[in-house]
Amino acid sequence: MIAHGEKLRVTNLRTFFYSNQARAFMRAVDGVDFSVPESQTLGIVGESGSGKSISMLSIMGLLSTGPGVISGKAMFKQGEQWINLLPEMDKFTQITYTKNLVSRVDKNEKAWQKAVERILKPVRGKEIAMIFQNPKATFNPFMSVGEQIVEAIRLHTSIKDKKQAREKALDWLDKVQIKDPLRNFHKMAEMMSGGMSQRAMIAMALSAEPSLLIADEPTTGLDATIQSKIVELLAGLRQQYKTTSIVVSHDINVISRLADQVVVMYGGTVVESGPCDQILCKNTEIQHPYTRGLLLSMPNDSSVKAKGHLKVIPGDVLDTLNTPMGCRFYERCTFKTPEISELCQSQQPDLISIVPDHKVRCWLYHNNRSRQDEGCAS
Amino acid sequence: MTKVLLKVENVSKSFSQGMGTLNTLLGKQDISRVLEHVNFSVKEGKTLGIVGESGCGKTTLGKAILGLLTIDHGRIFYEDHEVNRMTRRQLRPLRRHMQMIFQDLDAALNPKLRIKYLLKEAIKVHQSGLTSKQVEHRMLELLELVNLNKDKLNQFPFELSGGEKRRVGIARVLAVEPKLIIADEPTSALDVSIQAQVINLLKDLQDSLGLTYVFISHDLSLVELISHDVAVMYQGQIVELGTAEQISQTPKHPYTAMLWSSLGGGNQQLSADFTEMNSQETIDMDVTRESRNCPFVYRCPVYQQQGQPAVCLASEKKISLIEQENGHKVACYFPLHTR
Repeated sequence: MIAHGEKLRVTNLRTFFYSNQARAFMRAVDGVDFSVPESQTLGIVGESGSGKSISMLSIMGLLSTGPGVISGKAMFKQGEQWINLLPEMDKFTQITYTKNLVSRVDKNEKAWQKAVERILKPVRGKEIAMIFQNPKATFNPFMSVGEQIVEAIRLHTSIKDKKQAREKALDWLDKVQIKDPLRNFHKMAEMMSGGMSQRAMIAMALSAEPSLLIADEPTTGLDATIQSKIVELLAGLRQQYKTTSIVVSHDINVISRLADQVVVMYGGTVVESGPCDQILCKNTEIQHPYTRGLLLSMPNDSSVKAKGHLKVIPGDVLDTLNTPMGCRFYERCTFKTPEISELCQSQQPDLISIVPDHKVRCWLYHNNRSRQDEGCAS
Repeated sequence: MTKVLLKVENVSKSFSQGMGTLNTLLGKQDISRVLEHVNFSVKEGKTLGIVGESGCGKTTLGKAILGLLTIDHGRIFYEDHEVNRMTRRQLRPLRRHMQMIFQDLDAALNPKLRIKYLLKEAIKVHQSGLTSKQVEHRMLELLELVNLNKDKLNQFPFELSGGEKRRVGIARVLAVEPKLIIADEPTSALDVSIQAQVINLLKDLQDSLGLTYVFISHDLSLVELISHDVAVMYQGQIVELGTAEQISQTPKHPYTAMLWSSLGGGNQQLSADFTEMNSQETIDMDVTRESRNCPFVYRCPVYQQQGQPAVCLASEKKISLIEQENGHKVACYFPLHTR
């Protein structure tokens, strides 16, 4: 089941939340599969509400609202061993279906949390480190940044001596290109500029020498020039240390600069996955309508020169409270044709391989249908 | 020749920080100059894009133009009215002509009012004589202008998505039939696909209603798309001013080139050169604003390349925008030569 050279494989991950107001499940993540090859970078891209952050939080066991993760497997390779980060899911949850839809979830939250903690506690921070969007909120405001890195080093690595750990922390601050590490060692996170605290955050995450690094929107909220420097830094560190990593972002530019493999998410499902240069490319034959729309709606060179309008994906981001029976992108799709629209509305397509490694979830590609090439509506 | 609608002359504004009792006693006072000698003008029916990083004074400039802030020096003209000298009462009739789209979607709409009421309120505020039928009619007109569905009228702002909230905000602004709209980061909170919808809407409205925009954003490629003229700001000063084409094809200020290279767009050759230059220095933002002539000097790769000339740090004459060619102005002693 698990291919050679994989670091993490997530299968059929489903994370639901219950909305009391709407009396329905918010299907934030609904059947997500992806895998991260060893010493490569997986980029997850999608608009807000597509479930990219929630999938990351789910596999890290960091969700606190119910019911949370209801099914799925996350196999993680620790050393030579494979462990499931979401153990014995079906023992704790019971899902009742009505007409193929989840209508009720009974979950023994306490026991489940306990089981997850037992598995994840030695993994979190040490094996899998995470960089969050807002570095200032992630650091403890009462401790200097340096001390917190020392703490992480002493907790997660074999270095237990305070002095040695301090040396190591200074070394890491230097590696993430913070000028004058000695002076910045004693700074509080809020005394630093946005870019610098994000660098410190990266230093802290890497100081535990994790085998998998998850960066959740690492550049959002930073200025353009700082943003590109953080991306450069991450790319440089990736080459140097060969860390396996997952980068989550809504910014296609960031993803295309960092990732080897890309997963495109929409409305809680993976709509396309494969190598970065095949997916985030404007002139490919095979592409999910959503990915194409995303690429075209960027103010790129040709549209700027023409002074024309931006290409648009009509409609709004999917509300995961009431997901349609059929394809989730149907409402906004500009490639739908009369012949298949019935199929699109009634049944969700599977994520199928078109060419090796490249998977698309769209009816257009089932039964070798050729896509009608007609560009997005403007 | 189209007439100039808005003219900003030599505008400066500073805020004082750290005015605690102890600091006052010790005579310490931190003054941050948010705007320094800003000059530009906008012609009727055109768009001026203002681009810069956070904290460079873009929003302050927008508020100053509307008379929402008092300025320290300089003059702001809207048509023939000198906005900064007018009292609030005098400004009131002018407000109908100048409107602002604020950055924060949620803060701009009262969460306790239905969309219907929010729109009606905006229509009635400057036109008190309308009958309720006329107001209703105008409201539906506005909805059509911004492509918003009628069944949203009875909803509350929190029930709408980001793009819809933005549309309601734009409809409210249009309700008073303004001539000048200052759009402060109108798409920064939106997803790319929704951003494209809003940008197209703004462009369509300009074509059909002849609006004039001041478009404030941190996204250079977006500004270039929507604007006729672009002003690049850095730490309260305009460092480069030119047409959108000049700014994208032949950027002269190192900062503009740096912005382009960080986007990976614009002039490819230039940005490649620049990335190389840029990688040698890694000075972060937290340097004091004093003791320099050019605001960009501490991050400037050209400054390093030229062997740190003294003129950038201190000079008898303050650095200012100098015209290079065809109205393309740049505030730099060593402008980049492209092509």
